[in-house]
Amino acid sequence: MKSSRTEFLKTFGGFAILTKQVAVEMMRPPLYPRLVIDQMYQVGLQSLPLVFVTAGATGMVMALQFGLGLEKFGGKLYIPKIVSLSIVREMAPVFCSLMLAARVGAGITSEIGSMTVTQQIDAIRALGTSPIKKIVIPRVLACVIAIPLLTTAANFVGILGGLLVGKNDLGLDPVFYVQKVLQTVTIADFLSGFAKTPVFAFVIAINACYFGLTAKGGTQGVGNATTKSVVTSSITILVGDYFLSKFFWIFEQWL
Amino acid sequence: MAIIDVRHFAKSFSGKAIHKDVTFTVEEGECVGLVGGSGIGKSVVLRSLIGLEKSDSGEIWIDGQEISKLSERDLVEVRKKVAYVFQNGALFDSMSVYDNLAYPLREHTPLKEAQIRERIREQLDEFGLIEAIDKLPAQLSGGMQKRVGLARAMMIGPKVILYDEPTAGLDPYNTIKIQELVLRLKKKGVTSVFVTHDMPTALNVCDRFCLLANGRVMDEATVEEVKLNKGGKIEQFIAGEVGG
Repeated sequence: MKSSRTEFLKTFGGFAILTKQVAVEMMRPPLYPRLVIDQMYQVGLQSLPLVFVTAGATGMVMALQFGLGLEKFGGKLYIPKIVSLSIVREMAPVFCSLMLAARVGAGITSEIGSMTVTQQIDAIRALGTSPIKKIVIPRVLACVIAIPLLTTAANFVGILGGLLVGKNDLGLDPVFYVQKVLQTVTIADFLSGFAKTPVFAFVIAINACYFGLTAKGGTQGVGNATTKSVVTSSITILVGDYFLSKFFWIFEQWL
Repeated sequence: MAIIDVRHFAKSFSGKAIHKDVTFTVEEGECVGLVGGSGIGKSVVLRSLIGLEKSDSGEIWIDGQEISKLSERDLVEVRKKVAYVFQNGALFDSMSVYDNLAYPLREHTPLKEAQIRERIREQLDEFGLIEAIDKLPAQLSGGMQKRVGLARAMMIGPKVILYDEPTAGLDPYNTIKIQELVLRLKKKGVTSVFVTHDMPTALNVCDRFCLLANGRVMDEATVEEVKLNKGGKIEQFIAGEVGG
């Protein structure tokens, strides 16, 4: 019990120290924009198919389930409203972030973990350069820029998925569907979902880099670090989503 | 004046003291072999000489500068003067040999890419690795990886090289190749600290030995003393009569 508490505090402290190092190093030259672009390709473009499938399937399933449920009460016409609001405010940011915690987070941790156990991170330091600058900052920036953009794309694909099911399975008019979506979703709805994603992206990147940099014990250690990274990011996203939703809810009330 | 001066260096891991009071010096141009039993902490001392490990107490002076309390940022200048050759080369596996060698030049020199290419070709030619220029580390043998690691360490002309088991796991051909390279660098006046269990190689390249045991330097002897059977504990260690 005591050792798990110590481990938790050590990990939490490690995140805090790494976050501070990232903030400090980001203010100092040299910066490596080329590395950020490379990582954006890895994190962003290469994740597009996964994000499209996740968002499309989510939109389709939601339309189908709500359609079947609401049809009994003659509420089928509310499907565009429900699907679009759920996707934009909650489903796209959270599901995308969870999927990217698995794909991107695991990728980053295993890559950095392998570099750590094969002394490549030590080599970066021994050659007079900073692993924070060369490895961590490009990945953090790439995630913080790319994941909100991926979520925006996921919003469209999710709503489109709902439209497909609405038209083909529930007999909804596509024009009616699009009109209802446009009438329903406001900028505030979009922002309340979108604004969560940089936070989730930062959590994914910092977790992944931290567990990669602290990987020990060869290939098994890299595997353990990858598992911890994905689990920690997923839990943080799910729990953090509640608090961020509540924060935005209070913020919207205040406005 | 000693280019490396380690004074009362102490280091522990998870409460276990590995080094209690390690003290030794290395003169400019000298090659000192750090020897001792497996797990005694030779690599820990070596890593501390470049700031990859922080000491618990004691002082480490490199070229007149105390480095044990320096931040990572301040250590950059030290690391331009002191190169580290890792046991397995520690080449960046996503980069070609060319890019591995270009890395320190791109980071620390204002050279243009054409000049960098020329320097790398010269270096690889000298190290007998020119055919490997466009290969990835995974396509090289262990011996070649170590030689590329050494070539990379030498790219910005350090004053000191720290060798961590450079011949471990190598066949006789590659061991001799590494020995030749170390001796060639020594002739150029580069100071070296050599951690190894390969005593024939150590006897060929080192000027002096320090035996690490019980958390301190137990004995020191020159190669001549060892060869004349006056090496004390070091001679006994080399003969396999005592452990570290």
